[in-house]
Amino acid sequence: MRNSLLGCLVFAALVTGAASAMAAGTITGTPHDLSGKGWGTTELCKFCHTPHLAQSVAGAPLWNHDSTKQSYTLYTSSTFKGNSTQPGPQSKLCLSCHDGTVAIDSFANAGIVQSGTHTMISIGATTNLIGGGGSLTSDHPISFTYNGALATLDGHLATPVSANFVDAANQIPLYNNPGRSSQLECASCHAVHDNTYGKFLRIANTGSALCLTCHQK
Amino acid sequence: MNEKFSMTVARRGQRSLAPAFSLLLAFWFVGARTADAAVAVGAGIAQSKHNLSISGTGKIRADVSAGDNTGSELCIFCHTPHSASGQVAMWNRFDSGASYIPYRSTTTKAIIGQPTGASRLCLSCHDGTVALGMVRSRRTSIAMQSVAANLPHGRSYLGTDLSDDHPVSFQYTAALAAQQGDLQRPPRSGPVHLDANSEMQCTTCHDPHGNSYEKFLVMDNTGSALCLTCHNPESWLQSAHSYSPKRWNGLAPNPWPHTSQKSVAANGCENCHSPHNAGGKQRLLNFAEEEQNCFPCHNGNVAAKNLEVEFNKASVHPVINTTGVHDPAEPTLASAGVTRHVECADCHDPHAANSTGKTTPQAVSGALAGVRGVNASGAKISPITYEYELCFRCHGDTAKGPARVSRQFPQLNTRLEFQDVNGQNSFHPVVLPGKNPNVPSLKPPWTSASQMTCGDCHNNDRGPGAGGVGPAGPHGSAYAPLLERPLSFADTAANPANSALCFKCHDFVNNAWRDHLRHIGYTACGTCHDPHGSPNAHLMNFDPSIVAGARNYQSTGTGHGTCTLLCHGKEHTATSY
Repeated sequence: MRNSLLGCLVFAALVTGAASAMAAGTITGTPHDLSGKGWGTTELCKFCHTPHLAQSVAGAPLWNHDSTKQSYTLYTSSTFKGNSTQPGPQSKLCLSCHDGTVAIDSFANAGIVQSGTHTMISIGATTNLIGGGGSLTSDHPISFTYNGALATLDGHLATPVSANFVDAANQIPLYNNPGRSSQLECASCHAVHDNTYGKFLRIANTGSALCLTCHQK
Repeated sequence: MNEKFSMTVARRGQRSLAPAFSLLLAFWFVGARTADAAVAVGAGIAQSKHNLSISGTGKIRADVSAGDNTGSELCIFCHTPHSASGQVAMWNRFDSGASYIPYRSTTTKAIIGQPTGASRLCLSCHDGTVALGMVRSRRTSIAMQSVAANLPHGRSYLGTDLSDDHPVSFQYTAALAAQQGDLQRPPRSGPVHLDANSEMQCTTCHDPHGNSYEKFLVMDNTGSALCLTCHNPESWLQSAHSYSPKRWNGLAPNPWPHTSQKSVAANGCENCHSPHNAGGKQRLLNFAEEEQNCFPCHNGNVAAKNLEVEFNKASVHPVINTTGVHDPAEPTLASAGVTRHVECADCHDPHAANSTGKTTPQAVSGALAGVRGVNASGAKISPITYEYELCFRCHGDTAKGPARVSRQFPQLNTRLEFQDVNGQNSFHPVVLPGKNPNVPSLKPPWTSASQMTCGDCHNNDRGPGAGGVGPAGPHGSAYAPLLERPLSFADTAANPANSALCFKCHDFVNNAWRDHLRHIGYTACGTCHDPHGSPNAHLMNFDPSIVAGARNYQSTGTGHGTCTLLCHGKEHTATSY
């Protein structure tokens, strides 16, 4: 256990080197630590990553989880000006557990798919079900280009400091995928490995500070 | 506050985008929590009453002592990034489910139903039926400070009766603007905006996230600039209510209790109207009693003259007698179902009235600008071009009570009294020029070619026409029927004092008939003369309660006539002069 944890930390440092301002917390003991569930493994990282024979999945570092094939109804509103598409590769990784269509313990590396049985629905975690039934209509939009042009169009958004970050402190990242740069994805708000601030948020949301980083209200 | 977050907001403050906002936000977040007084009037929601979190500065905010269920977040009271319950638009509140009484008026052409769209979101707090802290993303309501589980009663409490609030959730189209007539074309750009369905909503006027302008308005409403984005009352810019710089002298009552503006011009529409919680529901007037919308300024505290006291006099246009009878949609002409009444707005158009004087003696003054009436022929006219057209609307063809003075030739239609119906009539030259070139009694500047107005006789007994300093116009007088000077019709009335009104223009001594003095020293002018008009010459129309016998007067040429009658026991039989 201790070795696997250490390995995980080293691994995490390697694959997430882009994030310059990491919070101090770890994944251990958070809701994302499923090592003690008895779901066919006592390892922690394995639910998402493998050091060898990893799947080649866009945006996914050393990926070891089966992917969702769900097509989603996207968020719309008369005032939302973003060009959202189906979830980008980074967000799709999250949805591969959170939309409830793929079991959390469905491991899949380059060689084998090991189907699991525990889905977000079957374990009763419905409040964390995102994209359930293929609907993202009641969730914050993702996979849209967040740049100065959008900020100008919207009128109440901060202009991102770069194609990689919204804020000058580089705490809210944007993602650059082939053909689509400056994408807001799940991981823009959530740090999947760190639950220091609850809900795996990237920064504390006291006074809705996370929201107000982008939303100039 | 953790150090990292402080750094975040501090760095944000260095960025060029919206620097003022960022600096304000940074200031507040980093250092101002215990120094509220130092916070400038903020543009952002964090400084506004809509910050219901524990960091809020208003009275209505989350209870800081509520443990795990405190409202430390600001956006959460309305929004959630993920809503498992399937609410659209990341809305975090429960629909009120209330059935609302929508705004109704006899003059609006808009089709107004139950609130829709963004307005329902606002009402999920502002109708007072849903607890402020009850949000979808929390299993139990966020605990609020004791005063405010639900929105307490106050100016922002709208309730479920929206009939006293500006209508929302109606389609505002060019067709509506054309049909309504006093609306601009729908706004297409700018801060005042319709929703995606071209519907007017709360968000048309209010920005729930920004309070740069008070009351979360989307723009500065000084001079009702926001209202006038849509509303376009005819002649408004000619109305003194749109441009008068007059200010309140500070004596109670406060004429502008629901605004912070300090002059008539700055208050604009809100001199008389309240967009929410209006006392007079239809047309959103400040008060249900029509005249009370005028008196708070026209009592000498804002406008120079005190009109309110005029209506306490013995003879008045009784504006205080009725409430809810007047309807601007009522027809101009007499009509079944319309109760006889008078309100200030029957004679004055507050969207057009001004203090411009008459350009000619018979012209309409600015006080009567824009009002409708009935012309000499009995047809409706709007706006009036002569003052009498306003008077004839009620004092012409409409039903009324018995004559004040009985006449041998009765005529209850005042409009017809001033007509030369059969070519033999005589009349005071209100509608038509005088027929008699020989009126030696007239005092300068009056001549036999002069024309006059109703207001030359019917006016304030303390107004300028009577040499007083009170307001002009027939609002009230000590002398009935609303006369500028005394006029008695009693047989024993000794003159000139008791017919002072007549002697305003006519000389008591020097007149066309040498025996005048022998009569009017003992009886009223009105015993023989009907002041409005008569089918006989020289306004001769005997009062049969005084004059008996044949009551026959005939003019026999300039300065000559004969009488056959019985009066004061004295028999006249073709007595001539």
